[in-house]
Amino acid sequence: MASKKPEQFDRVDWSELSESSRFDLSINSIGMLAATLPLALLWLYDYQFVGERGATFQAIGLGRNLDPLDYFFVFTLFLFFFYLVLPLYQNPRMTRYYWAEFRRNRPAVVSLGWLGVVFVGGLLGPLVISAPEQSILTGHQPPMFLSINEANVATCVGDVVNGQCQGTWQHPLGTTRGGKDVFAGVVYGMTISMQIAFITTTIVAAIGITFGTVSAYAGGWVDEIMMRFVDVILSFPTFLMFLLILYIYGAGLGMFILVFSAFAWGGTARYVRSKSLSVSEEEFIKATRISGASTYRVVRKHVVPNVASSIITQLTLLIPGFLLAEAQLAFLGIGDSAVPSWGQLLSAGRSDLAFAPWIVLSPGIVLFLTILAFNFIGDALLDALNPEAEAESA
Amino acid sequence: MVRRHNNGDNDGRRLGRRQWLSMLGIGGATALAGCSGNGGDGGNGTDGGTDSGDGTDSGTDSGTDTSTYATAAAASFTTLNPIYNDENGAGNAIARALDQGYTFDEDNEYVPLLYDMSTEDGEVWTFEVREGLEFSDPYGAVTASDFVYLIQEIHQGGWASSVSATYWTGVEVEQTGEYEFQATLGNSQLLWPESYEPLLYPIPRDLLQPYVEAEDAEGLRQDEALLELRFSGNLGPYVLDEWQRDGGTQYSRNDDYYLRDAADLPDVFDEAPYFESAEIQVLGEQASRLGALETGEVDSAAIPPERVQEYQNNEEIEVNQIPQPYNEKLSVNMRDNGWTTGPGNLFRHKSFRQAMAAAIDKQSLIQGVFRDFAETHFTWQPRFSNFYPPEENIPEFGVGDRYGSEFARGLAEDAFEQSEHDYGFDGETMVGPDGNQVRLSLYHSAGQETEQLMGEFIAQELGNNLGIAVSLEAIDSTRFNTEYYTTTEFPTPERNEGGEVVSVPDELVDTVNGAEVEWTSPTATNPGPRNITGNEDWDMEIVYGLNTFPRNPLTNAVFFDGPTGSYNPVGYYPEFDAQGLFDDARQATSEEELADALVDLFVNIAEEQPYIMLAFPDSTVGYREGLEGPIENFSNGWNLPAWRYE
Amino acid sequence: MGFGKYVGARVLWAVVVSLIITTITFLLLAAAPNPAIREAATQAALQGGDPSAAVERERELRGLNQPLYVRYADFIRSVYTLDWGWSESRSQPVTEALLQALYYTAQYSIPWTVLTITVGPLVGVYSAANMYSWRDHVATGFAFFGYAIPNFFFGIILLLIFGVWFEVVPISYDTSVPVFSVQNVRQLILPVFVLVTGSIGATMRVSRNESAEFQNSEFMKTAKAKGVSPLRSYAYHVMRPTLVPLSTTLVGQLLALFIGSSLLVEVVFGIPGLGRLTFNALLSQDTNLVLGSTLVFTFIAVVGNLLEDLVFTVLDPRINYDDR
Repeated sequence: MASKKPEQFDRVDWSELSESSRFDLSINSIGMLAATLPLALLWLYDYQFVGERGATFQAIGLGRNLDPLDYFFVFTLFLFFFYLVLPLYQNPRMTRYYWAEFRRNRPAVVSLGWLGVVFVGGLLGPLVISAPEQSILTGHQPPMFLSINEANVATCVGDVVNGQCQGTWQHPLGTTRGGKDVFAGVVYGMTISMQIAFITTTIVAAIGITFGTVSAYAGGWVDEIMMRFVDVILSFPTFLMFLLILYIYGAGLGMFILVFSAFAWGGTARYVRSKSLSVSEEEFIKATRISGASTYRVVRKHVVPNVASSIITQLTLLIPGFLLAEAQLAFLGIGDSAVPSWGQLLSAGRSDLAFAPWIVLSPGIVLFLTILAFNFIGDALLDALNPEAEAESA
Repeated sequence: MVRRHNNGDNDGRRLGRRQWLSMLGIGGATALAGCSGNGGDGGNGTDGGTDSGDGTDSGTDSGTDTSTYATAAAASFTTLNPIYNDENGAGNAIARALDQGYTFDEDNEYVPLLYDMSTEDGEVWTFEVREGLEFSDPYGAVTASDFVYLIQEIHQGGWASSVSATYWTGVEVEQTGEYEFQATLGNSQLLWPESYEPLLYPIPRDLLQPYVEAEDAEGLRQDEALLELRFSGNLGPYVLDEWQRDGGTQYSRNDDYYLRDAADLPDVFDEAPYFESAEIQVLGEQASRLGALETGEVDSAAIPPERVQEYQNNEEIEVNQIPQPYNEKLSVNMRDNGWTTGPGNLFRHKSFRQAMAAAIDKQSLIQGVFRDFAETHFTWQPRFSNFYPPEENIPEFGVGDRYGSEFARGLAEDAFEQSEHDYGFDGETMVGPDGNQVRLSLYHSAGQETEQLMGEFIAQELGNNLGIAVSLEAIDSTRFNTEYYTTTEFPTPERNEGGEVVSVPDELVDTVNGAEVEWTSPTATNPGPRNITGNEDWDMEIVYGLNTFPRNPLTNAVFFDGPTGSYNPVGYYPEFDAQGLFDDARQATSEEELADALVDLFVNIAEEQPYIMLAFPDSTVGYREGLEGPIENFSNGWNLPAWRYE
Repeated sequence: MGFGKYVGARVLWAVVVSLIITTITFLLLAAAPNPAIREAATQAALQGGDPSAAVERERELRGLNQPLYVRYADFIRSVYTLDWGWSESRSQPVTEALLQALYYTAQYSIPWTVLTITVGPLVGVYSAANMYSWRDHVATGFAFFGYAIPNFFFGIILLLIFGVWFEVVPISYDTSVPVFSVQNVRQLILPVFVLVTGSIGATMRVSRNESAEFQNSEFMKTAKAKGVSPLRSYAYHVMRPTLVPLSTTLVGQLLALFIGSSLLVEVVFGIPGLGRLTFNALLSQDTNLVLGSTLVFTFIAVVGNLLEDLVFTVLDPRINYDDR
């Protein structure tokens, strides 16, 4: 134990100091590569050797098929792990500091817990709970502890007391008109929401950061044009455009993610640009430059890490917008009805609201809590990363 | 549910022409549930009196206020121009202010309104126009010349693209008196009025003339007098006061309504209409319409099946259950862009289609999706039709012994034997020549809940009983229609100057049951033999429901009159002599002969399953207690002007 | 660059942006199959005519046989001459349809906007003045609630509670009631409430955080020391600087809400406004009306962004016109 302490206290990362090539790889990147490679191979196998309609894992007897969206989702999870979670572990001191700041905001801690539930539920739920299956004869079953007029159900799974059909543990949150279990629907909706959250933020961050830094460093008329382009992107009526595309060409969840993230990076780009401009004015950057660092190296080693925390905050606040947009589209009945999202559940229960409100209430409340949680966390991150504001208001 | 109406109305049902509308009718079941009883009295002719497709619900203000006859529509109207309207909802809105030629009463008897039709042989029909019909000033009295002008210059003019144009091609019209004209058909049609084809709106000749002279279709379409029915005179029970595009229509009583003086109608019409004013409100949400019914704001609304029992227990509301001729069916694509799972389209084998029909439990479907408010569907007629074959003659697939895994598999095995390709069962799973499971797509319209439920049920049943993996796909119905179901890119036969076909390109010739068949008049819905297809592949669909035409089953010739019938998107080639039977029916000189030929036809269709027939959903409509007039019959609403509160 | 010049450049840019967006819409629609043409073909086929000839005729009639750039020039000209064509799905001119829809949209969006920009900052400043008291917590909690709950979901729930269960508000929207009447207030109160709770959260949070900074500032201490009344000092020294950063987020937030939520809220409450007009036009493939309403939405978005920038520069004299 004792021998470790000085190492931590005065650790010098020699590899970082001695590296001169831009092709140096941190442990994170190595991990990332090591994880992505099998994924790419699996995709290749799926693409090349398994028929278009065959399930990916049919060779080993698993029925679960992976579509491109799933691959991308797993990829973003790797990114998230190696560039967000792992660095936090590698820098325990900073992590402890952030956590101490973050913990002071109780709603945010609760929110983090809730998002953890959604995340784990979304990842593992589908493995444990079977997908909601239609069973038209057991539609409109009430949730546990509630009841419904017998006239409104075809058959009642639970007991009938005084002409009221009672809920059962078989369907803890009741069923939809088609007899799909609402609880299972909510759990499967978590997967979809997590996919939307991770994939869109990855795309937005990738485009936004690239665009912003390039613009800041190119300067001059290139910068001007790029920022005017951002103006256009920002004033684009995305929702409307998506409706247009949907109606003319048809669109599924993949198209939704693509279109919405393609028009959401404007703010990030603007932000990154102004941040990089101000960071590049700092003394330490000038020092780095004088010592011969390339622009790429300055951006990667100094600018991005310095703006990373603010970007993460900003992205956290973007996610609820995407979740909401998906739910809205589904509610209008023009989402991808094959995708078991919360919005689809909401829309399925809309006309039954008067006598079977649970179909709308369960996913609605879950969606509301998730959006709320993202907002609380975004707020807490703002506070945690901005000690000045904290000191003032404390 | 509500969106279903919207969607249905705006795209699925508006395939363009009223003829298509009348066949495709509904986007599916709920639109039906959304139909209600008031209205039609030929509001839109083709659909027979009852259906008001987009959920036009009727009612008056509460039990006590009986001065306004207020109804609610689920979607706003595209146009009120009678020449261009192809929607049921707008048809009802027009019908409040403008009667059409005739209607059918509760006994299915012809009731003359504007004109009486008679014939000796079914080929030459005489129209006698009622006297005393008046347009508004300055158009004067309605005479035979107005109708003849409308038919000859608008419907047959070729430039106006009116919705009724197709009904009048090949019909020779001649004015024979001030109040009389004659129509000569190419062949005998004993049930011509029942096809609703000779149903006309009265339109003043003077109003049309400027557009006819200029051949100005756009001007005619946008004419304000037509759009606001300013010429309606004494021709409807009410006068249209205002059409608010989003709010609906408002009417006031027409004191001069011509049926008050008609001696040939029941006495009840003498005082008609019984309300001081009328109103159609556009209420998009089903919840709003039901709420309005409960509070008495309107006193008639369509009731979705899962809530019928609830309303039956409500003392203020009376629920009518009205059988309908619009079906729910599963189309299987026999064209080359169907059966995407492998070689050798099995849908083309009769026994395979039978196997599919036998694999889907009709009782459970009806109980689960329609909560028992539907009829089983075995052949192309509803039970209430006069031409329904004797029960023992038709195989009833999907119920009793003819339902189940074993029975269905047996039929499927028959089909495998007939196929050149190596299909078979591997345990529970149906596998193709490559050893993979048979996988098929099933399309339904996006946002249509009932369809989605049905689709999921069908997918389950085909999976459990036949081992087919079915993937359910939601699609916008217009997109499905343009890209998958139909095509406008087909070869056309060469015609001479007289319009007769001179030669037919090779693509339009195919060998059917050993005989060579030419597609001389391909259409978007039957663009040619099975090799001519839409742009995209599809296996099965439940996007559209079709009309089965119980009043005049001969109209079904468009579906089944041999492989070249004008509506045949699935590429069905009958294996029995359908054309022969239709010819027999057409040449029938008595109702008995007609019935014999048709019954024979429907027995064969039940056997062949050109579409996998599933169910006829009922229309369930709630009325405020005390409203006199509604009947539990397909003709419900024929005497709408005489409806009243006691 | 002077202020006038800056405004000029900014307006010019707004025109360019709207032109770009309109062009993209035009191209999207030009690439889509036109239902009218298809209908003509079907019609011809039914009547035994030649569908391809009918298609040609229809294309000619609609000017679709001309090259894309000619159609584009025509399109742009008609945009600026307000000749937006005939709406097939409503049988009336597009401009008339848009005006009617705008009339209903305005009835709920004017009270909504007014309430948001007045109540939001006021509550925010109040909250900051009473920071970490229970009042602050209630206000913040409410802001978060309103911000996070999906508008359409909230609307449905309120409609269920107050419309269906308690029957205090009508569940269907009546277009025939006068604008200034009790019935109209009753039928609009829920949509306005839902929209205000949705938008107030953002403005409140920003103004709370911003004013928190200012109220501890030296100039506030000076004002207090000078004996300026609290009301006056808040109004002059906290509200005004708070409005600067607020204005930047406010317009954007409102616009995003307007374009996204107005449709949903209109659908839920059955208001025949712009959102539903656009949606229905899309469903029925009414090309002219889709173009027209896209133009209106684009115009609103661009003008909103423009105003935001201008207000920003007016409120904060420190801003350099060159730097944006």
